[in-house]
Amino acid sequence: MSDRSSSDPAPARAAGSAAMDAVDPAVQVLAGLRQLILDAHPSAHGIALDGLVRSAGGLSRENWSFDATWTDAQGAHHHRLMLMRDAAGTLLHTDRARECAVLKALEHTAIPAPHIFWMDEQGQRLGAPAVVMERMPGVCDYMALNGPGPLDARLSLAQDFLALMATIHAVDWRALGLGERLGVPEGAPSLRDLAHWEGEYRKAQLEPHPELDYVLSWLRRRAPQAEALVLVHGDFKPGNALIDQGRITAKLDWETAQLGDPLEDLGWVTNPVRKREHQIPGHWERREIVQAYRERTGRQVAEADLLWWNVFSCWKLSIIQLTAVAEFVAGRYHRVFQTPTWLYRPMFQMMEAAL
Amino acid sequence: MRPSVEEQLQGTCRILEDVVAPCVNDPLARTLLDGVVANLRMLTAALPGVAPFLRQDNQTTGHLLAQLSSSVSPELAERVALALATPEPDVADMAALDAHNRLLRELMAEAVCSAQLTPEHHRAIVVHMSARASRMPMRYVATTPSPASPSRPTPQAQN
Repeated sequence: MSDRSSSDPAPARAAGSAAMDAVDPAVQVLAGLRQLILDAHPSAHGIALDGLVRSAGGLSRENWSFDATWTDAQGAHHHRLMLMRDAAGTLLHTDRARECAVLKALEHTAIPAPHIFWMDEQGQRLGAPAVVMERMPGVCDYMALNGPGPLDARLSLAQDFLALMATIHAVDWRALGLGERLGVPEGAPSLRDLAHWEGEYRKAQLEPHPELDYVLSWLRRRAPQAEALVLVHGDFKPGNALIDQGRITAKLDWETAQLGDPLEDLGWVTNPVRKREHQIPGHWERREIVQAYRERTGRQVAEADLLWWNVFSCWKLSIIQLTAVAEFVAGRYHRVFQTPTWLYRPMFQMMEAAL
Repeated sequence: MRPSVEEQLQGTCRILEDVVAPCVNDPLARTLLDGVVANLRMLTAALPGVAPFLRQDNQTTGHLLAQLSSSVSPELAERVALALATPEPDVADMAALDAHNRLLRELMAEAVCSAQLTPEHHRAIVVHMSARASRMPMRYVATTPSPASPSRPTPQAQN
């Protein structure tokens, strides 16, 4: 059974949040970061935090970049860092301790992922749960596969992304102790995930959504068994990576990582509603992606199972958007989302294709 | 009634874009402001269509519920019959239209999960839901981060 945590929105914000909100967030962040450094390095002095900027991106939490310098008994330190802090409102509730556990485990692998510096699990220093990690080189480009670059370079990048996914799925999670940290599903991961996201759905639901109940009913009837149990990223996309000179320098945003069905990630990238992010028309489409994955992993990838995960991806995305709607209505989230009707027809079409 | 609701919404967008936005230098705030304006513009266009949408949706949902009621539990069929016997709200009463729509969609959420539905029922459900999705007047408006001026300076911490 998974112990993934995603329950109450921003629990640590509760304590003194009104007072916290009254101060300049940047001042609060700087004070909290300084304290985190002192917690980890009590002899630190000459602490300087420069260039603190909050990114305009990041739909699920606050992203702040900065440089940290200090001196302690070990000598002088200078690091380029990122702070990810839970926002007061979010479309995706995740747990910093799980994310840290995954990133620390990945330090023992060849997967390019940021090194973790500090965690404020309960938000005692930063006012909300937060994690500080290495700021890696490269740029984030959601449309890297369909940008203005030459086709051969984009195709090569697409293959690199697929290879990276296969590498993540090949991680020896038992040896890294991730079974204890993330929880090993007792039954089919599809059913575990369905139960988890149904819980999120019911929490976010402000009105009846017969369309989503109808799809949920279909998903329940057809939940597949997993061909393997692997580490899955949970939100595998070019927008969650850094790219430098055509090379993937980092895979980011591991907060939804879990032990699950490898088709969860493959279903996310072959999901028809995300074609523009993951596919290159005429060259790198569903058939090529699945074939490349089969060749790299030796897995069969049953088409009916993959289709189930495609539908699940859209359904899960619908729940994430409903969460944003609920958070907006509650006054905690500052971006306006709508009921995700644009996802309904693609789901129905896939369900009909599965008959 | 002037300025009309539409004129006021359009004017609000104009002021936000022409007067406020140029003064917003923080990239996050500018991105959020762009999203607010885009959503106001969507609302301006969608608002006149909301009441007609609800009215039509109540009618088509009612028809579908009547079709499905032979394949749902007797208890649910009874509640469906009761709801369908309720007179339709006044077309000018948006709150009543919305409340009736909620009631019908609650019933529909239960009915579409019935294990006794026939293939014809499933086809009718998908046709109804797809048509509703395409008629929905309010839509999410995606915006990308604006190329705002560099962020305001932030305080520096030293010890």
